[in-house]
Amino acid sequence: MIFKKIKYYFKIWLLMAKNALMGWSVNRNVFLVFLLGKTIRYFSYFGFLYFLVRGSNGFLGYNQNQVLFITATYIFIDTVAQFFFRSVYTFRSIVVSGDLDLILIKPVNALFRVLLGGPDPIDFVTIPPILFVVIWIGSLMHPTTLQVLLYILLLINGLLISAAFHIVVLSIGVITLEVDYLVMVYRDLSSMGRFPIDIYKQPLKGILTFVVPIGLMVSVPAKAFSGLLSPISFVGTIAIGIIVFILSLKFWNYALTKYTSASS
Amino acid sequence: MNKYWQIFKISLTQELAYRLNFIMWRLRNIIQILVFFFLWDAVFLGTNQIFGYTRIQIFTYAFVLIIVRAIIFSIRSNDIAGQVANGELTNMLLKPINYFKYWITRDFAYKFLNIIFGIVEVFGLILILKPNIFLQTNPFYFIAFIASLIIAIFIYFIILSIASFVPFWVPEIAWGAQFLTLTIVEFLSGASFPIDVFPNYIYQFLRFTPLPYLIFIPIKIYLGNFSYSLVFQSLVIGIIWVFILWRISNEVWKRGLKVYEGVGR
Repeated sequence: MIFKKIKYYFKIWLLMAKNALMGWSVNRNVFLVFLLGKTIRYFSYFGFLYFLVRGSNGFLGYNQNQVLFITATYIFIDTVAQFFFRSVYTFRSIVVSGDLDLILIKPVNALFRVLLGGPDPIDFVTIPPILFVVIWIGSLMHPTTLQVLLYILLLINGLLISAAFHIVVLSIGVITLEVDYLVMVYRDLSSMGRFPIDIYKQPLKGILTFVVPIGLMVSVPAKAFSGLLSPISFVGTIAIGIIVFILSLKFWNYALTKYTSASS
Repeated sequence: MNKYWQIFKISLTQELAYRLNFIMWRLRNIIQILVFFFLWDAVFLGTNQIFGYTRIQIFTYAFVLIIVRAIIFSIRSNDIAGQVANGELTNMLLKPINYFKYWITRDFAYKFLNIIFGIVEVFGLILILKPNIFLQTNPFYFIAFIASLIIAIFIYFIILSIASFVPFWVPEIAWGAQFLTLTIVEFLSGASFPIDVFPNYIYQFLRFTPLPYLIFIPIKIYLGNFSYSLVFQSLVIGIIWVFILWRISNEVWKRGLKVYEGVGR
Protein backbone atom coordinates (compact mmCIF):
# COMPACT_ATOMS: atom_id res chain seq x y z
CA MET A 1 0.00 0.00 0.00
CA ILE A 2 2.71 2.46 1.05
CA PHE A 3 4.85 1.56 -1.99
CA LYS A 4 1.88 2.22 -4.22
CA LYS A 5 1.49 5.65 -2.63
CA ILE A 6 5.18 6.44 -2.99
CA LYS A 7 5.01 5.43 -6.65
CA TYR A 8 1.93 7.63 -7.10
CA TYR A 9 3.64 10.69 -5.61
CA PHE A 10 6.87 10.01 -7.43
CA LYS A 11 4.98 10.04 -10.71
CA ILE A 12 3.39 13.36 -9.80
CA TRP A 13 6.76 14.78 -8.79
CA LEU A 14 8.26 13.69 -12.11
CA LEU A 15 5.42 15.40 -13.90
CA MET A 16 5.98 18.63 -11.96
CA ALA A 17 9.74 18.38 -12.56
CA LYS A 18 9.09 17.97 -16.27
CA ASN A 19 6.85 21.04 -16.26
CA ALA A 20 9.51 23.07 -14.43
CA LEU A 21 12.15 21.96 -16.92
CA MET A 22 9.92 22.86 -19.86
CA GLY A 23 9.28 26.26 -18.29
CA TRP A 24 13.01 26.93 -18.09
CA SER A 25 13.74 25.53 -21.55
CA VAL A 26 11.77 28.36 -23.17
CA ASN A 27 13.90 30.84 -21.19
CA ARG A 28 17.34 29.54 -21.97
CA ASN A 29 18.99 32.98 -21.53
CA VAL A 30 17.55 33.30 -18.04
CA PHE A 31 18.71 29.79 -17.24
CA LEU A 32 22.28 30.63 -18.27
CA VAL A 33 22.32 33.92 -16.36
CA PHE A 34 21.16 32.26 -13.14
CA LEU A 35 23.57 29.40 -13.63
CA LEU A 36 26.41 31.89 -14.05
CA GLY A 37 25.28 33.80 -10.94
CA LYS A 38 25.18 30.67 -8.82
CA THR A 39 28.57 29.53 -10.10
CA ILE A 40 30.09 32.91 -9.16
CA ARG A 41 28.52 32.67 -5.72
CA TYR A 42 30.01 29.22 -5.12
CA PHE A 43 33.42 30.38 -6.32
CA SER A 44 33.16 33.36 -3.97
CA TYR A 45 32.50 31.07 -0.98
CA PHE A 46 35.47 28.86 -1.75
CA GLY A 47 37.77 31.63 -3.04
CA PHE A 48 37.39 33.78 0.07
CA LEU A 49 37.83 30.85 2.45
CA TYR A 50 40.80 29.51 0.54
CA PHE A 51 42.68 32.81 0.82
CA LEU A 52 41.50 33.41 4.39
CA VAL A 53 42.63 30.03 5.69
CA ARG A 54 45.85 30.19 3.71
CA GLY A 55 46.66 33.60 5.20
CA SER A 56 45.72 32.65 8.75
CA ASN A 57 46.92 28.99 8.77
CA GLY A 58 43.46 27.75 9.79
CA PHE A 59 41.45 28.79 12.81
CA LEU A 60 40.02 27.22 15.98
CA GLY A 61 42.07 24.12 15.25
CA TYR A 62 40.43 23.54 11.87
CA ASN A 63 42.86 23.11 8.99
CA GLN A 64 42.25 24.21 5.41
CA ASN A 65 40.67 20.94 4.22
CA GLN A 66 38.30 20.76 7.20
CA VAL A 67 37.09 24.34 6.73
CA LEU A 68 36.62 23.86 2.99
CA PHE A 69 34.84 20.56 3.60
CA ILE A 70 32.32 22.22 5.93
CA THR A 71 31.66 24.88 3.29
CA ALA A 72 31.31 22.22 0.57
CA THR A 73 28.86 20.31 2.80
CA TYR A 74 26.84 23.48 3.38
CA ILE A 75 26.72 24.24 -0.35
CA PHE A 76 25.66 20.68 -1.13
CA ILE A 77 22.80 20.62 1.40
CA ASP A 78 21.70 24.14 0.45
CA THR A 79 21.70 23.31 -3.25
CA VAL A 80 19.85 20.01 -2.86
CA ALA A 81 17.28 21.77 -0.64
CA GLN A 82 16.83 24.51 -3.24
CA PHE A 83 16.46 21.92 -5.95
CA PHE A 84 13.62 20.16 -4.15
CA PHE A 85 11.97 23.05 -2.31
CA ARG A 86 12.18 25.84 -4.89
CA SER A 87 8.38 26.22 -5.04
CA VAL A 88 8.44 27.61 -1.49
CA TYR A 89 9.82 30.84 -2.96
CA THR A 90 6.66 31.41 -4.98
CA PHE A 91 4.21 30.24 -2.33
CA ARG A 92 3.14 33.71 -1.23
CA SER A 93 1.60 34.51 -4.62
CA ILE A 94 -0.41 31.27 -4.44
CA VAL A 95 -1.88 32.28 -1.08
CA VAL A 96 -2.46 35.92 -2.04
CA SER A 97 -4.22 35.03 -5.29
CA GLY A 98 -6.36 32.38 -3.60
CA ASP A 99 -4.90 29.66 -5.84
CA LEU A 100 -4.18 27.62 -2.73
CA ASP A 101 -7.88 26.67 -2.80
CA LEU A 102 -7.28 24.88 -6.09
CA ILE A 103 -4.42 22.93 -4.55
CA LEU A 104 -6.36 22.04 -1.41
CA ILE A 105 -9.25 20.47 -3.29
CA LYS A 106 -7.06 18.22 -5.44
CA PRO A 107 -6.55 14.54 -4.50
CA VAL A 108 -2.90 15.18 -3.74
CA ASN A 109 -1.39 16.12 -0.39
CA ALA A 110 -1.33 19.94 -0.39
CA LEU A 111 1.97 20.12 1.49
CA PHE A 112 3.59 17.80 -1.04
CA ARG A 113 2.34 20.05 -3.84
CA VAL A 114 3.54 23.37 -2.36
CA LEU A 115 6.79 22.03 -0.91
CA LEU A 116 8.01 19.90 -3.80
CA GLY A 117 5.98 21.46 -6.59
CA GLY A 118 8.73 22.96 -8.75
CA PRO A 119 12.19 21.44 -8.67
CA ASP A 120 14.84 23.86 -9.90
CA PRO A 121 16.69 22.58 -13.01
CA ILE A 122 19.53 25.08 -12.40
CA ASP A 123 20.36 23.35 -9.14
CA PHE A 124 20.05 20.00 -10.87
CA VAL A 125 22.93 21.15 -13.10
CA THR A 126 25.04 22.43 -10.21
CA ILE A 127 24.57 19.43 -7.89
CA PRO A 128 26.98 17.01 -9.72
CA PRO A 129 30.00 19.39 -9.68
CA ILE A 130 29.29 20.28 -6.04
CA LEU A 131 29.10 16.59 -5.17
CA PHE A 132 32.39 16.11 -6.96
CA VAL A 133 33.97 18.89 -4.85
CA VAL A 134 32.60 17.31 -1.63
CA ILE A 135 34.04 13.91 -2.59
CA TRP A 136 37.33 15.44 -3.73
CA ILE A 137 37.95 17.49 -0.58
CA GLY A 138 36.62 14.60 1.53
CA SER A 139 39.07 12.15 -0.06
CA LEU A 140 41.95 14.40 1.05
CA MET A 141 40.88 13.79 4.67
CA HIS A 142 41.20 9.98 4.40
CA PRO A 143 37.98 8.99 6.23
CA THR A 144 37.08 5.44 7.29
CA THR A 145 34.06 3.65 5.79
CA LEU A 146 32.13 4.17 9.04
CA GLN A 147 32.82 7.91 8.98
CA VAL A 148 31.56 8.14 5.40
CA LEU A 149 28.44 6.17 6.32
CA LEU A 150 27.68 8.39 9.33
CA TYR A 151 28.27 11.45 7.17
CA ILE A 152 25.75 10.28 4.57
CA LEU A 153 23.15 9.48 7.25
CA LEU A 154 23.64 12.90 8.83
CA LEU A 155 23.40 14.58 5.41
CA ILE A 156 19.99 12.97 4.94
CA ASN A 157 19.10 14.13 8.45
CA GLY A 158 20.28 17.65 7.46
CA LEU A 159 17.93 17.60 4.48
CA LEU A 160 15.11 16.55 6.82
CA ILE A 161 15.84 19.57 9.02
CA SER A 162 15.97 21.77 5.92
CA ALA A 163 12.58 20.38 4.83
CA ALA A 164 11.23 21.22 8.29
CA PHE A 165 12.43 24.83 7.93
CA HIS A 166 10.74 25.15 4.56
CA ILE A 167 7.50 23.70 5.96
CA VAL A 168 7.61 26.28 8.77
CA VAL A 169 8.11 29.04 6.19
CA LEU A 170 5.11 27.74 4.22
CA SER A 171 3.02 27.58 7.38
CA ILE A 172 3.86 31.14 8.35
CA GLY A 173 3.03 32.08 4.77
CA VAL A 174 -0.49 30.77 5.30
CA ILE A 175 -0.93 32.57 8.63
CA THR A 176 0.58 35.93 7.62
CA LEU A 177 1.12 37.23 4.11
CA GLU A 178 4.15 39.35 5.00
CA VAL A 179 6.72 36.65 4.34
CA ASP A 180 8.59 37.89 1.28
CA TYR A 181 11.83 37.90 3.20
CA LEU A 182 11.19 34.99 5.55
CA VAL A 183 12.60 32.33 3.28
CA MET A 184 15.59 34.58 2.64
CA VAL A 185 16.10 34.92 6.41
CA TYR A 186 16.18 31.14 6.52
CA ARG A 187 18.80 31.18 3.74
CA ASP A 188 20.91 33.67 5.68
CA LEU A 189 20.54 31.68 8.88
CA SER A 190 21.50 28.46 7.15
CA SER A 191 24.46 30.21 5.53
CA MET A 192 25.84 30.72 9.05
CA GLY A 193 26.54 26.99 8.85
CA ARG A 194 29.01 27.41 6.00
CA PHE A 195 31.66 28.04 8.66
CA PRO A 196 32.42 25.76 11.63
CA ILE A 197 29.65 26.33 14.18
CA ASP A 198 32.34 26.67 16.86
CA ILE A 199 33.17 30.20 15.66
CA TYR A 200 29.91 31.45 17.18
CA LYS A 201 29.78 32.28 20.86
CA GLN A 202 27.03 31.41 23.33
CA PRO A 203 24.09 31.92 23.34
CA LEU A 204 24.18 32.15 19.53
CA LYS A 205 25.99 28.83 19.24
CA GLY A 206 23.32 27.16 21.39
CA ILE A 207 20.55 28.73 19.31
CA LEU A 208 22.17 27.53 16.08
CA THR A 209 22.55 24.04 17.51
CA PHE A 210 19.24 23.43 19.27
CA VAL A 211 16.68 26.14 18.42
CA VAL A 212 17.42 26.69 14.75
CA PRO A 213 19.56 23.60 14.26
CA ILE A 214 21.76 24.88 11.45
CA GLY A 215 24.79 23.35 13.15
CA LEU A 216 23.14 19.93 13.08
CA MET A 217 22.54 20.33 9.36
CA VAL A 218 26.11 21.09 8.34
CA SER A 219 28.76 21.13 11.09
CA VAL A 220 27.73 17.84 12.71
CA PRO A 221 27.91 15.78 9.47
CA ALA A 222 31.31 17.33 8.75
CA LYS A 223 32.46 16.48 12.28
CA ALA A 224 31.30 12.88 11.85
CA PHE A 225 33.31 12.75 8.65
CA SER A 226 36.42 13.86 10.56
CA GLY A 227 35.77 11.24 13.28
CA LEU A 228 35.10 13.93 15.88
CA LEU A 229 31.49 12.94 16.71
CA SER A 230 30.53 10.82 19.73
CA PRO A 231 27.85 8.10 19.36
CA ILE A 232 25.54 10.02 21.73
CA SER A 233 25.83 13.17 19.60
CA PHE A 234 25.04 11.12 16.51
CA VAL A 235 21.87 9.62 18.01
CA GLY A 236 20.87 13.00 19.48
CA THR A 237 21.27 14.72 16.10
CA ILE A 238 19.13 12.16 14.31
CA ALA A 239 16.50 12.38 17.08
CA ILE A 240 16.38 16.19 16.86
CA GLY A 241 16.05 15.98 13.06
CA ILE A 242 13.04 13.68 13.32
CA ILE A 243 11.43 15.71 16.12
CA VAL A 244 11.88 19.00 14.24
CA PHE A 245 10.34 17.46 11.13
CA ILE A 246 7.31 16.10 13.03
CA LEU A 247 6.80 19.46 14.75
CA SER A 248 6.92 21.26 11.40
CA LEU A 249 4.19 18.94 10.05
CA LYS A 250 2.04 19.72 13.10
CA PHE A 251 2.62 23.43 12.56
CA TRP A 252 1.55 23.10 8.92
CA ASN A 253 -1.69 21.38 9.97
CA TYR A 254 -2.29 24.16 12.49
CA ALA A 255 -1.56 26.85 9.86
CA LEU A 256 -4.12 25.31 7.49
CA THR A 257 -6.82 25.83 10.12
CA LYS A 258 -6.01 29.56 9.94
CA TYR A 259 -6.31 29.77 6.16
CA THR A 260 -9.13 32.14 5.28
CA SER A 261 -9.09 31.83 1.49
CA ALA A 262 -9.69 35.57 1.47
CA SER A 263 -8.62 36.31 -2.11
CA SER A 264 -10.52 33.58 -3.89
CA MET B 1 10.58 69.95 -5.49
CA ASN B 2 7.34 69.58 -3.58
CA LYS B 3 6.22 66.58 -5.63
CA TYR B 4 9.44 64.73 -4.85
CA TRP B 5 8.94 65.52 -1.16
CA GLN B 6 5.50 63.94 -1.48
CA ILE B 7 7.05 60.88 -3.16
CA PHE B 8 9.54 60.71 -0.28
CA LYS B 9 6.73 60.77 2.29
CA ILE B 10 4.62 58.22 0.39
CA SER B 11 7.63 55.92 0.06
CA LEU B 12 8.24 56.06 3.81
CA THR B 13 4.58 55.24 4.46
CA GLN B 14 4.73 52.39 1.99
CA GLU B 15 7.80 50.88 3.62
CA LEU B 16 6.20 51.11 7.04
CA ALA B 17 3.03 49.47 5.73
CA TYR B 18 5.00 46.26 5.24
CA ARG B 19 6.75 46.38 8.60
CA LEU B 20 7.45 42.66 8.94
CA ASN B 21 9.16 42.56 5.55
CA PHE B 22 11.26 45.56 6.50
CA ILE B 23 12.24 43.99 9.83
CA MET B 24 13.14 40.75 8.01
CA TRP B 25 15.36 42.74 5.63
CA ARG B 26 17.14 44.33 8.58
CA LEU B 27 17.42 40.94 10.28
CA ARG B 28 19.16 39.61 7.19
CA ASN B 29 21.71 42.41 7.43
CA ILE B 30 22.32 41.68 11.11
CA ILE B 31 22.86 37.98 10.38
CA GLN B 32 25.45 38.84 7.75
CA ILE B 33 27.27 41.14 10.15
CA LEU B 34 27.20 38.52 12.92
CA VAL B 35 28.78 35.97 10.55
CA PHE B 36 31.43 38.52 9.60
CA PHE B 37 32.13 39.42 13.25
CA PHE B 38 32.36 35.89 14.65
CA LEU B 39 34.38 34.55 11.73
CA TRP B 40 37.03 37.23 12.16
CA ASP B 41 36.89 36.90 15.93
CA ALA B 42 37.83 33.23 15.46
CA VAL B 43 40.52 34.06 12.92
CA PHE B 44 42.11 36.58 15.31
CA LEU B 45 42.36 34.14 18.24
CA GLY B 46 46.02 33.96 19.19
CA THR B 47 47.15 36.69 16.85
CA ASN B 48 46.76 40.45 16.63
CA GLN B 49 47.40 41.18 12.96
CA ILE B 50 46.26 39.41 9.78
CA PHE B 51 46.13 40.75 6.22
CA GLY B 52 47.35 44.10 7.58
CA TYR B 53 44.36 44.48 9.94
CA THR B 54 44.47 44.65 13.70
CA ARG B 55 41.68 43.10 15.74
CA ILE B 56 40.20 46.56 16.47
CA GLN B 57 40.28 47.52 12.79
CA ILE B 58 38.50 44.39 11.62
CA PHE B 59 35.76 44.77 14.24
CA THR B 60 35.39 48.41 13.25
CA TYR B 61 35.10 47.23 9.65
CA ALA B 62 32.17 45.01 10.72
CA PHE B 63 30.31 47.79 12.52
CA VAL B 64 30.92 50.49 9.92
CA LEU B 65 29.79 47.89 7.38
CA ILE B 66 26.29 47.92 8.93
CA ILE B 67 25.94 51.65 8.33
CA VAL B 68 27.62 51.62 4.92
CA ARG B 69 25.44 48.74 3.72
CA ALA B 70 22.36 50.61 4.95
CA ILE B 71 23.43 53.71 3.03
CA ILE B 72 24.60 52.08 -0.19
CA PHE B 73 22.67 48.82 -0.61
CA SER B 74 19.26 50.04 0.54
CA ILE B 75 17.69 50.67 -2.81
CA ARG B 76 14.26 50.55 -4.39
CA SER B 77 15.26 51.45 -7.92
CA ASN B 78 15.94 47.79 -8.65
CA ASP B 79 12.20 47.70 -9.41
CA ILE B 80 13.00 49.55 -12.66
CA ALA B 81 13.79 46.18 -14.28
CA GLY B 82 10.31 44.86 -13.50
CA GLN B 83 8.68 48.03 -14.83
CA VAL B 84 10.60 47.76 -18.10
CA ALA B 85 9.76 44.06 -18.40
CA ASN B 86 6.02 44.31 -17.71
CA GLY B 87 5.41 47.59 -19.52
CA GLU B 88 4.63 49.59 -16.40
CA LEU B 89 7.35 51.97 -17.51
CA THR B 90 4.85 53.42 -20.00
CA ASN B 91 2.66 54.72 -17.17
CA MET B 92 5.66 56.20 -15.41
CA LEU B 93 6.92 57.99 -18.50
CA LEU B 94 3.52 59.64 -19.02
CA LYS B 95 3.57 61.21 -15.56
CA PRO B 96 4.88 64.77 -15.07
CA ILE B 97 7.89 63.62 -13.11
CA ASN B 98 11.48 62.84 -13.94
CA TYR B 99 11.69 59.06 -13.92
CA PHE B 100 15.17 58.92 -12.38
CA LYS B 101 14.50 61.62 -9.81
CA TYR B 102 11.45 59.59 -8.82
CA TRP B 103 13.57 56.51 -8.16
CA ILE B 104 16.37 58.45 -6.48
CA THR B 105 13.76 59.95 -4.14
CA ARG B 106 12.35 56.52 -3.36
CA ASP B 107 15.87 55.25 -2.76
CA PHE B 108 16.55 58.08 -0.33
CA ALA B 109 13.38 57.33 1.62
CA TYR B 110 14.41 53.68 1.89
CA LYS B 111 17.96 54.63 2.83
CA PHE B 112 16.66 57.04 5.46
CA LEU B 113 14.73 54.26 7.21
CA ASN B 114 17.59 51.81 6.89
CA ILE B 115 20.14 54.27 8.28
CA ILE B 116 17.97 54.84 11.36
CA PHE B 117 17.60 51.11 11.91
CA GLY B 118 21.30 50.58 11.12
CA ILE B 119 22.36 53.06 13.81
CA VAL B 120 20.10 51.39 16.37
CA GLU B 121 21.51 47.99 15.40
CA VAL B 122 25.10 49.21 15.75
CA PHE B 123 24.44 50.44 19.27
CA GLY B 124 22.54 47.24 20.13
CA LEU B 125 25.29 44.98 18.82
CA ILE B 126 27.99 47.03 20.55
CA LEU B 127 26.13 46.57 23.83
CA ILE B 128 25.76 42.82 23.26
CA LEU B 129 29.13 41.95 21.72
CA LYS B 130 31.21 44.59 23.54
CA PRO B 131 33.92 44.81 20.85
CA ASN B 132 36.82 47.25 20.86
CA ILE B 133 36.18 49.56 17.93
CA PHE B 134 37.93 52.55 16.49
CA LEU B 135 36.28 55.98 16.24
CA GLN B 136 37.68 58.16 13.50
CA THR B 137 38.38 61.63 14.90
CA ASN B 138 40.54 63.01 12.08
CA PRO B 139 38.28 65.50 10.20
CA PHE B 140 40.08 64.87 6.89
CA TYR B 141 39.34 61.14 6.92
CA PHE B 142 35.81 61.69 8.15
CA ILE B 143 34.96 64.20 5.41
CA ALA B 144 36.64 61.95 2.82
CA PHE B 145 34.57 59.04 4.17
CA ILE B 146 31.34 61.02 3.67
CA ALA B 147 32.48 62.02 0.16
CA SER B 148 33.28 58.39 -0.69
CA LEU B 149 29.80 57.36 0.48
CA ILE B 150 28.14 59.91 -1.80
CA ILE B 151 30.22 58.61 -4.71
CA ALA B 152 29.28 55.03 -3.78
CA ILE B 153 25.55 55.87 -3.71
CA PHE B 154 25.76 57.12 -7.29
CA ILE B 155 27.92 54.23 -8.51
CA TYR B 156 25.50 51.66 -7.05
CA PHE B 157 22.44 53.43 -8.40
CA ILE B 158 23.92 53.60 -11.89
CA ILE B 159 25.23 50.00 -11.90
CA LEU B 160 21.83 48.65 -10.89
CA SER B 161 20.12 50.95 -13.39
CA ILE B 162 22.24 49.53 -16.20
CA ALA B 163 21.34 46.01 -15.05
CA SER B 164 17.69 47.10 -14.92
CA PHE B 165 17.79 48.21 -18.57
CA VAL B 166 18.63 44.69 -19.80
CA PRO B 167 14.87 43.82 -20.06
CA PHE B 168 14.55 46.40 -22.83
CA TRP B 169 16.09 43.72 -25.02
CA VAL B 170 15.38 40.55 -23.03
CA PRO B 171 12.27 41.14 -20.85
CA GLU B 172 12.33 37.71 -19.24
CA ILE B 173 15.81 38.31 -17.87
CA ALA B 174 14.72 41.15 -15.54
CA TRP B 175 15.46 39.42 -12.24
CA GLY B 176 18.30 37.32 -13.69
CA ALA B 177 20.38 40.37 -14.61
CA GLN B 178 19.83 41.83 -11.14
CA PHE B 179 20.72 38.54 -9.47
CA LEU B 180 23.96 38.30 -11.41
CA THR B 181 24.87 41.93 -10.68
CA LEU B 182 24.06 41.65 -6.97
CA THR B 183 26.09 38.43 -6.66
CA ILE B 184 29.16 40.04 -8.21
CA VAL B 185 28.71 43.23 -6.16
CA GLU B 186 28.32 41.28 -2.91
CA PHE B 187 31.47 39.29 -3.63
CA LEU B 188 33.82 41.98 -4.91
CA SER B 189 32.69 45.20 -3.22
CA GLY B 190 33.99 44.36 0.25
CA ALA B 191 30.47 43.77 1.59
CA SER B 192 31.22 40.19 2.64
CA PHE B 193 34.91 40.55 3.50
CA PRO B 194 37.76 43.05 2.98
CA ILE B 195 38.98 42.47 -0.55
CA ASP B 196 42.65 42.87 0.42
CA VAL B 197 42.32 39.27 1.69
CA PHE B 198 42.94 38.42 -1.96
CA PRO B 199 46.50 38.23 -3.28
CA ASN B 200 47.91 41.65 -4.12
CA TYR B 201 47.62 41.31 -7.91
CA ILE B 202 43.87 40.57 -7.65
CA TYR B 203 43.40 43.42 -5.17
CA GLN B 204 45.29 45.90 -7.38
CA PHE B 205 43.21 44.85 -10.38
CA LEU B 206 39.94 45.26 -8.45
CA ARG B 207 40.94 48.77 -7.36
CA PHE B 208 40.56 49.88 -10.95
CA THR B 209 37.03 48.50 -11.22
CA PRO B 210 34.05 50.39 -9.69
CA LEU B 211 33.15 47.62 -7.23
CA PRO B 212 35.48 48.35 -4.27
CA TYR B 213 34.32 51.99 -4.34
CA LEU B 214 30.93 50.82 -3.07
CA ILE B 215 31.94 49.43 0.32
CA PHE B 216 35.61 48.60 0.69
CA ILE B 217 37.19 51.97 -0.15
CA PRO B 218 34.79 54.03 2.04
CA ILE B 219 35.51 51.78 5.04
CA LYS B 220 39.25 51.83 4.41
CA ILE B 221 39.09 55.61 4.32
CA TYR B 222 37.14 55.63 7.58
CA LEU B 223 39.76 53.38 9.18
CA GLY B 224 42.49 55.83 8.13
CA ASN B 225 44.41 53.05 6.41
CA PHE B 226 45.09 55.14 3.32
CA SER B 227 47.60 57.98 3.04
CA TYR B 228 46.16 61.41 2.13
CA SER B 229 47.33 61.02 -1.47
CA LEU B 230 45.77 57.58 -1.75
CA VAL B 231 42.49 58.96 -0.38
CA PHE B 232 42.52 61.67 -3.07
CA GLN B 233 43.40 59.11 -5.72
CA SER B 234 40.55 56.84 -4.58
CA LEU B 235 38.02 59.67 -4.61
CA VAL B 236 39.12 60.78 -8.07
CA ILE B 237 38.88 57.21 -9.45
CA GLY B 238 35.44 56.91 -7.85
CA ILE B 239 34.25 60.15 -9.47
CA ILE B 240 35.65 59.04 -12.84
CA TRP B 241 33.66 55.81 -12.51
CA VAL B 242 30.51 57.78 -11.75
CA PHE B 243 30.93 59.70 -15.01
CA ILE B 244 31.87 56.64 -17.08
CA LEU B 245 28.95 54.61 -15.74
CA TRP B 246 26.57 57.55 -16.06
CA ARG B 247 27.49 57.94 -19.75
CA ILE B 248 27.03 54.21 -20.33
CA SER B 249 23.73 54.24 -18.46
CA ASN B 250 22.50 57.24 -20.46
CA GLU B 251 23.40 55.59 -23.75
CA VAL B 252 21.79 52.26 -22.78
CA TRP B 253 18.64 54.07 -21.58
CA LYS B 254 18.31 56.01 -24.88
CA ARG B 255 18.85 52.91 -26.98
CA GLY B 256 16.54 50.93 -24.74
CA LEU B 257 13.72 53.44 -25.14
CA LYS B 258 14.05 53.13 -28.92
CA VAL B 259 13.38 49.38 -28.78
CA TYR B 260 10.87 49.59 -25.91
CA GLU B 261 7.48 48.25 -26.99
CA GLY B 262 5.54 48.56 -23.73
CA VAL B 263 4.60 44.91 -23.91
CA GLY B 264 1.79 44.10 -21.51
CA ARG B 265 0.21 47.58 -21.68
